[in-house]
Amino acid sequence: MSDVVLRGIRKSFGDIETLHGIDLDIKDGEFVVFVGPSGCGKSTLLRTIAGLEDITSGDLHIGGERCNDTPPAKRGVAMVFQSYALYPHMTVAENMAFGLKLAGVSKEEMKQAVDRAARILQIEHLLERKPKALSGGQRQRVAIGRAIVRKPNVFLFDEPLSNLDAALRVQMRIEITKLHRELNTTMVYVTHDQVEAMTLADRIVVLNAGNVEQVGSPLELYHHPRNLFVAGFIGSPKMNFVEGKLAAIGANHATVQLADGSMVTAAVDASAGQVGGKVTLGIRPEHFEFSASGNTISGQLIAVEHLGEATICYLQVPGASEHLVVRADAEHEAKPGETLSVRLPETRCYLFNEAGLAFQRVKNS
Amino acid sequence: MAVVLDKSHRWRVVAAHLGLICFIALIMFPFLMILLISLRPGNFSTGDLIPSQISLEHWKLVLGIPYQAADGRLVEPEFPVLLWLWNSIKVAALSGLIGLLLSTTCAYAFARMRFAFKAQLINSLMLVQMFPTVLALVAIYAIFDQIGGYVPWLGLDTHGGLILAYTGGIALHIWTIKGYFDTIPVEIEEAAKVDGATPFQAFRYVLLPMAVPILMVVFLLAFIQGVNEYPIASVLLKQQDQLTIAVGIKMFLYEQKYFWGDFAAAAILSGLPISIVFLLAQRWMTSGLTAGGVKG
Repeated sequence: MSDVVLRGIRKSFGDIETLHGIDLDIKDGEFVVFVGPSGCGKSTLLRTIAGLEDITSGDLHIGGERCNDTPPAKRGVAMVFQSYALYPHMTVAENMAFGLKLAGVSKEEMKQAVDRAARILQIEHLLERKPKALSGGQRQRVAIGRAIVRKPNVFLFDEPLSNLDAALRVQMRIEITKLHRELNTTMVYVTHDQVEAMTLADRIVVLNAGNVEQVGSPLELYHHPRNLFVAGFIGSPKMNFVEGKLAAIGANHATVQLADGSMVTAAVDASAGQVGGKVTLGIRPEHFEFSASGNTISGQLIAVEHLGEATICYLQVPGASEHLVVRADAEHEAKPGETLSVRLPETRCYLFNEAGLAFQRVKNS
Repeated sequence: MAVVLDKSHRWRVVAAHLGLICFIALIMFPFLMILLISLRPGNFSTGDLIPSQISLEHWKLVLGIPYQAADGRLVEPEFPVLLWLWNSIKVAALSGLIGLLLSTTCAYAFARMRFAFKAQLINSLMLVQMFPTVLALVAIYAIFDQIGGYVPWLGLDTHGGLILAYTGGIALHIWTIKGYFDTIPVEIEEAAKVDGATPFQAFRYVLLPMAVPILMVVFLLAFIQGVNEYPIASVLLKQQDQLTIAVGIKMFLYEQKYFWGDFAAAAILSGLPISIVFLLAQRWMTSGLTAGGVKG
């Protein structure tokens, strides 16, 4: 078991820099998820921790030791790849024992370690098969098993579930959580799926274009995103953004004038703002209310989706960059073409200044 | 599986089969002619298509067994054909193995490592290979003449020299193996490296076992090349007992007299090792060795 410390990690491929100085402290036994859109550098960052990519500048410490120039084999890490990357010419048991065989472990110990991992992952009946005779989910279990067998200090997962179908993904997600509880080892997990990030992580690291946007617990990121990017990335369906101007400011409220002239109040500390300054109002689809009194926004309903457990309404609102997405009750009976007014609860609103940084929300509970 | 077929389909199948049979006959005809020439008494290149009389005189000569001629005298074999055959097998197998070793490691470097001028190097390999060997014969002769002055067992008239000359022609093999390595996902080796393998162990225990089919193909090609090659062997080898069979059987064709029967028997004999190696190699040339390693 060990912690992982990153200090000013930069990575360049030729002239192109993909990581622009990453600082991060991953505590011993913590489950940290790197999340971000494709191309944001999250996989590259994971591969630098694994030692599969060299570090252009900065320091990487694993378990207190500087590991910049340590080959992958000696870092005490194990990695699970998106494509499983099993050895196709070996059986499942040989696949799992490969690392131990290289380390010169005795046959006895090897068998014990493999059996233990197979028991944890319930793949004991597959040990003699070749990877090509396994299903996708089974292959991913073997890949995880191969990582467990080596008893690493740090587990690295590179989008391990993205090749599985939706049902299997949910199941494996729960198993990985269980595995983390049982092994209590540091785990670093890369995904582009924010639901996976929210459900698995102790802490989430949101990356964008080679920079860390925010680090925090899932709920911290949900309730107190630091900027527009994090606010838009965490949550599904994503947060609505409406542009407007600051009309009044205070230490625990801000009034925003929207493009159609209506006024909306948000419970944020806007004392740093300027009256008349451009701002972006944010509100999550699930936080709208349907009582049409005060603090409302109205628009034309252009589409309605009945999902069964809820109804998703799409509103055309002046000043909104995209359609406003409103999550309503399953029984909601609005029809496309109607004009709909929805209330924005003050304490549910987010507000961002012109640079995209969030005003601190007033804590309400 | 049962696809609905048009009525005319049956006739098209028959026509296709007829076409294929004609094609095979066309290919087999020269081989059957050689076989018949080797079994006909006397040394004639032409004669009855179905011989009226079968004689094993040419085969006996080629295999080194004296035989009684029609006029009663005992004919002793003139040339050591079996020795030539052995020379050919030795040279082809060794040059194939050494070539395989070099081209595999070389292909690994081109497929997996990063170094300066990589693209230029591998393209120039291809270009050099396109230059016809025959045009370089004089140079090759001069080079091995010089080498022989320092390292006698690599000089003219040695099998070592010939093997070295053949091993030089591996550019195409490097391309072939590199192409195969490129199709094997890098993640599998990366997984091995994280698992604790050194780059060489990843190559030896992970990449190489997956590449067995292509290695077999390349060895087979190199072996066939080694047995059949004529120009270089004819320039480098002079002494009768050093010759390879491709060069040696030319001796049956004098200026004044062509021993077509003996020539034919020896020619078929030279095809034998190739067939045997092919049959042996076939069981390794299975597809699907890399299946299941990564998400397809």
